[in-house]
Amino acid sequence: MKSKGLLPLFGGAAKVVFLNQWRGTMTSPDWDVASPLSRLGLEDANGIPEGGFGAVAAPAGVGKTALLVQLALHAMLKDEAVLHVSLQDPVQKIGLWYRELFQNLAGREALPRAGQVWERILPNRFIMSFQVEGFSVPRLEERISDLTAQNIFHPRLMIVDGLRFQPGIDPTLKDLKRYAEKQGLRVWFTVHVHRQDGDAHGLGPDGLNALLEMFSVILRLDTVGDEIKIRVEKGFPGGDAPAILSMDPTSLLLRAS
Amino acid sequence: MKNDQQKVRNIGISAHIDSGKTTLTERILYYTDRIHAIHEVKGKDGVGATMDSMELERERGITIASAATYCQWRDHEINIIDTPGHVDFTIEVERSLRVLDGAVLVLCAVGGVQSQSITVDQQMKRYRVPCLAFINKCDRSGASPERVIEQLRSKLGHRAIPLQMAIGLEADFQGVVDLVAMKALYFEGEKGERVVEAPIPAALIEQAKGWREALIDAASLDSDELTEAILEGGELPEGVLIEAIRRATLARNLTPVLMGSAYKNRGVQPLLDAITRYLPCPADIRNEALDTAHEERPVVLTSRTTDPPVALAFKLEDGPYGQLTYIRVYQGVISKGQTLINARSGRKFKIGRVVRMHSDQMEDIEALEAGTIGALFGIECASGDTFVAPGLSLTMTSMFVPEPVISLSIMPQDNRSQIGMSKALSRFTKEDPTFKTFVDAETGETIIEGMGELHLEVYVERMRREYDCDVTTGQPRVAYRETITQRADFNYTHKKQTGGAGQFGRIAGYLEPLEDGDFEFVNAIVGGAIPTQFIPACEKGFRSCLAKGPRMEFPVTGVRVVIDDGASHAVDSSDMAFQAAARGAFREGYLRARPVIKEPIMKVVVETPTEFQGSVMGLLNQRRGMILGAQDEGPQCVIEAQTPLAEMFGFSTVLRSATQGKAQFTMEFALYRQVPQGLAEKIAEEMAAKKKRAA
Repeated sequence: MKSKGLLPLFGGAAKVVFLNQWRGTMTSPDWDVASPLSRLGLEDANGIPEGGFGAVAAPAGVGKTALLVQLALHAMLKDEAVLHVSLQDPVQKIGLWYRELFQNLAGREALPRAGQVWERILPNRFIMSFQVEGFSVPRLEERISDLTAQNIFHPRLMIVDGLRFQPGIDPTLKDLKRYAEKQGLRVWFTVHVHRQDGDAHGLGPDGLNALLEMFSVILRLDTVGDEIKIRVEKGFPGGDAPAILSMDPTSLLLRAS
Repeated sequence: MKNDQQKVRNIGISAHIDSGKTTLTERILYYTDRIHAIHEVKGKDGVGATMDSMELERERGITIASAATYCQWRDHEINIIDTPGHVDFTIEVERSLRVLDGAVLVLCAVGGVQSQSITVDQQMKRYRVPCLAFINKCDRSGASPERVIEQLRSKLGHRAIPLQMAIGLEADFQGVVDLVAMKALYFEGEKGERVVEAPIPAALIEQAKGWREALIDAASLDSDELTEAILEGGELPEGVLIEAIRRATLARNLTPVLMGSAYKNRGVQPLLDAITRYLPCPADIRNEALDTAHEERPVVLTSRTTDPPVALAFKLEDGPYGQLTYIRVYQGVISKGQTLINARSGRKFKIGRVVRMHSDQMEDIEALEAGTIGALFGIECASGDTFVAPGLSLTMTSMFVPEPVISLSIMPQDNRSQIGMSKALSRFTKEDPTFKTFVDAETGETIIEGMGELHLEVYVERMRREYDCDVTTGQPRVAYRETITQRADFNYTHKKQTGGAGQFGRIAGYLEPLEDGDFEFVNAIVGGAIPTQFIPACEKGFRSCLAKGPRMEFPVTGVRVVIDDGASHAVDSSDMAFQAAARGAFREGYLRARPVIKEPIMKVVVETPTEFQGSVMGLLNQRRGMILGAQDEGPQCVIEAQTPLAEMFGFSTVLRSATQGKAQFTMEFALYRQVPQGLAEKIAEEMAAKKKRAA
């Protein structure tokens, strides 16, 4: 019963093809889904430049994670490696977000061979989950270098979900900025805005305004009637941002409004 | 009779391997006077825990087969099924959950909610089994019941509410505070057999009050009576609170959490009280059977003893006195001398002996009533069969049985072993639906199939020990599948018109990949190009090609066949001819549809101290694993990956040596995925060589 894998069966000479590298062997997807950000008319086609920060601000339960997961899915479809760092949900739950939104997207756009495409893009995603109290930038750096040093995963886009923008967050953000610039990472954050301070222009907790210059793009989600409207608070070249995108409250998919 | 049933509890004890459930069961049996000495798992006394009745289980310190046992606690009858902890044996767990009314989820106060607990919890959800949680090992260093409760909420989504609070922790663990009665409980005597009530230590009173508030809050959501009692103010009647907790637990809206240390004999008696208070009696559960006479329409069973009997055989065991069949009676009474029918085979049989089991000892009884668990002797049946009164056409719902993913050839050493092996195989296949065996027609080898390396290893070991037969095993082989990746047309004519009765049939259409499902046959013929009476023959012909793919001879899945044209001959066309035409058409289309090999991919979850995270990820990556994520949980982290089964042989040894034995992993089948090209060629070569050898 002792065995060393299947390879000895073939004289040990089999060429190992790693799962995270074999997408080339599969059929290409023929999917042409425009990035939702392109509709917002942002300065940068990717939303934010390399080493830049973007934020999605909204009260709890409005759809920050859903929006960022969609940005991530679009990046994954373009074969871009996405690292999703969650400080609130376990890996399995984040995985479900991706799966569900992908299925909704495939269903809405009637895209062919969704199952195969999903299998193809899955290696482009890595989920890391931290406990809030256990999270620090050095720790994150260590985890990422575990991946890059062994050539397991090289993230290009990072999503930081659940970081609490409280007083004292400044050094963490600065550390992250330094790391992102060094690695050429584009980083999106979710920013939890408390409902009670729903000032139309303020982003929420005090102190965040002071950090505004760190972010290239700030999107704000608001519930208007039955709809979730997306507004560009910062990052639109013309100054006043048009509210031209919204989210479907049932499927949480982005759509032109 | 109704009153009696309300004092019956059929419960399971499920948990992660090594969280101490066998030790806990042993204590339960001791306190309920079923055994008179406590033996430990892997006991030095050579006896081993009572529930681990198989020799192999005792040696390895794990529980493999679930032994059912019966005990009494404060005039309640409790039937306990001790369930195995390793994921390779989950069919045993699932089968137990099917017959249980409630469960105790045992968690380790140090390790918390681990991957296996998540699997077991999902199974409980599937069968809607209400449960209690027991946080064991509170005496261990690093114990933190609060962290475990938080994990129950965040990882499993339970509304976990503690009914107790630990008095001291780790080496200082002394007892628990009962938050319902607001008393401290200590366990005195050599084996903790005396439960002593005392006032709550002053230092803990404030915290206990806070926790009790949270408990009342949570329980009041399901109970108007409790809400009223709270609004009235004053002393809250204990009975009202208990009833509210019970109701919320039965609805799976609340998971009461208890704590203790089975090994140190603390907290076990209050757990028994909680089982009788909060877990359901058989009458609380709605059980359904399927009516085979009416297209398997679901029928609710009454659980009345006066109705005709319906029982499910959920486990078989080969004992020294012949086959022992564990049954759960759902309706009516099953008694000695009665004649019943096996719903699957339709055979009549007479019941000889009815017994109540206490692990491997037994007690003869006259009858088993609805809601109880017991065993019958000398009944010829398979696991999962339903026994009913003559005239009833009911069968209990069949359980979900996964397809095996790994196979192994076995060869008996000598003639004596040959006899033992066939006996053992027929026994194991009856006991375990995920274990299959057949003789390879080409090589003449006996092949066994199962759910993982350990699964098969244990059966081979059991053959040696229980049937005294020595077998040599071949290399484990992965159950590959074939599928197609693009659409391909076919147009095939089968023609034999040279003398004698002729054969003629032409089939045209196309094959295409089918994403969800194994096979679909679509008849798109218009205008009668193929006469309707031959269409079933076409489908049969196509189906017959699925068992062995034309390319690699692995089973074919994920194919849709559409036929849209054809031709027939007034005299020479027949079912036979169209079946042959379909086979030819399949071969023709299949090779053009870019067939590929698919391999089983396992979901592998590794729990490791954080310092080994990098090396564990490296190990998985080397094994062609795709790492899906890593979860930091303080000192521990959990890595989730999808890895081909073919690469996972011997992984436990490698993992142990890479992590100083501190990491553990579980593995279960996830999906089939296309084999990379390079490897596919090698597999093809290997298959060709095998064929050559067989020839």
